[in-house]
Amino acid sequence: MSQSGATVSQDCITAFNELKLNKKYKYIIYKLSDDFKEIVVEEASDDKEWDSFREKLINATTKNKNGAMGKGPRYAIYDFEYSLASGDGIRNKITFLAWSPDDAGIQPKMIYASSKEALKRSLTGIAVELQANDSDDIEYDSILKTVSKGLAA
Amino acid sequence: MAQQPLSSAVPPTDIYGGDEVSALVLDPGYCSTRAGWAGEDVPKSILPSFYGHIGSTNTNLFGDEYLIPREGLEVRNYMNRDSVVEDWDVAPKFWENMLVKRLQPERPTAPSKNGLNDDPKKDGEGDVSMDGAAEEAAAEAQEEQEKALQENPLLVTEAPWNTSKAREKTTEVIMETWGCPAFWLSRTPTLSAFAAGKATALVIDVGGSNTNVTAVHDGMVLKRSIQRSPVGGLWLSSQIRSMFEHAEPKVALTPTYLIENKTPVDALAPAQARLRKFPFSIADSFRRYEEERVLTEFKESVVEVWRGNPGPYRAQGTEDFIKTQPGRVFEMPDGYNQMWREQRYRASEGMFDESVGYPLPEAERITKEQTIPSLIRTALEAVDVDLRPNLLGNVVVTGATSLINGFNDRLNNELIGMYPGVKIKIHAAGLTSERRFGAWVGGSILSSLGTFHQMWISRKEYEENGPGIVEKRCK
Repeated sequence: MSQSGATVSQDCITAFNELKLNKKYKYIIYKLSDDFKEIVVEEASDDKEWDSFREKLINATTKNKNGAMGKGPRYAIYDFEYSLASGDGIRNKITFLAWSPDDAGIQPKMIYASSKEALKRSLTGIAVELQANDSDDIEYDSILKTVSKGLAA
Repeated sequence: MAQQPLSSAVPPTDIYGGDEVSALVLDPGYCSTRAGWAGEDVPKSILPSFYGHIGSTNTNLFGDEYLIPREGLEVRNYMNRDSVVEDWDVAPKFWENMLVKRLQPERPTAPSKNGLNDDPKKDGEGDVSMDGAAEEAAAEAQEEQEKALQENPLLVTEAPWNTSKAREKTTEVIMETWGCPAFWLSRTPTLSAFAAGKATALVIDVGGSNTNVTAVHDGMVLKRSIQRSPVGGLWLSSQIRSMFEHAEPKVALTPTYLIENKTPVDALAPAQARLRKFPFSIADSFRRYEEERVLTEFKESVVEVWRGNPGPYRAQGTEDFIKTQPGRVFEMPDGYNQMWREQRYRASEGMFDESVGYPLPEAERITKEQTIPSLIRTALEAVDVDLRPNLLGNVVVTGATSLINGFNDRLNNELIGMYPGVKIKIHAAGLTSERRFGAWVGGSILSSLGTFHQMWISRKEYEENGPGIVEKRCK
């Protein structure tokens, strides 16, 4: 249970398991439903292009309490794959990303932050968890460095 | 997660479904208490936590409009400097004044009491109390019904070190005295972190009576990390008092209420003002409260934090450099005015560097461990090594005293100096109201959510478990 009381839809877990076990997806983007009651899958994709994933986060929108659209936070799962600099082969790290742009409204930020726990708890097998707040935070290289603890080639 | 879902035997009630819950949010602090409706951007009612007390009649006056020169009026505070409620006789009345009198429309007097329906026969002789007992029971039921906040769930914020005794006491007031249908207690750092969009953050709350640094991880306060010190708005006021004392010429701190009229004077010239005379003595506590208001204005318009460029404040030559920079003029209520240059930086410097600043009485002096950089270091040392970079990349600054010009730049410089090579990112709300009322705003959003109805501790739960429930649920 999250602190906001929001719940997680079954689809979220199904999609995550498809990613984890069947490698069906490269990433999943989750969002809160329009009434902010439930976390749902916004998109699951096998597109390996990081930049298109990044663009999607940057352009994510949500409604604020007056009904106007504005920048929106998201949760995302990304299956990082990298080879070790030491030449010991390839590693996969399933990464949980809490995306909350600083210029989003205070209400959506609050709701996403206080609901995060619910989603994180439902998904077992997350290797790394990150918070990101502006477009610089989601550059591939810097994230990879964090995820791999600097061991990636 | 700390919060346990309601057991399946108690299905969540649908009473609060939807986003309109008419919940109230109360955020008490030492300097001011904030109250308002959930879902709003700013608290509707903001009052100083000081109240008037008249000893001769033993009455308490709530609301700043009563804090005027008056015979026998003492100014008191219901909290202690640690932002924990001290006077439990007064606190509920103080809060009720805000939550009921200031926020709710006036209720009509019950028909049985408004005098219009009085049965004239009752006063006469004869058939009076046949139904006396029934009436009494009805009156009792009526009273039961007229508890102040029967229709409003209430979210109350608390300092992370609030004692369990104080929490239970708060719970009792909410449920027994006010009859709220449901309630929740939230710790301020969690709310501030959430309001910044972060579930994990290092929250630096620079408030009125103290400053605290707390690590929040996944929405939970890490108890070991909590660090606090008196370096806050009031401490800064003492610095300014000392600065006035040591200025050449000495600056008299005459509060506004004492000034009858004043004539403009040149900078540094003695004030020309006629003081008001009162036919009764004014309590020291009242004068101090009024002085504090002048100091607040001074802090808002003059004081600045030295950002560290071109060198640290304590370095030789820095003061001389500042003297060549533009200063700020401040006019005291009595008309005395002067330009403040290096002094306005020196007053705040002690927040970061205990070796600089104006001399203070021993009780108010701070040690190196109490400066903000040391608080941060100690807080971080108390948490897991792996968590530290994550916290430093998510520093949330809140509290009204953090609004002093230059504060964030200085903090950033300090952190970069302390943790070279680590990515440091400070998040401070741009809106003044979000910084002053960070925790209130967080509570307001949280408690207005349609989904939050499952979180509230309901009356039923309270009745089954007693006030101890708060320790189990609100962790």
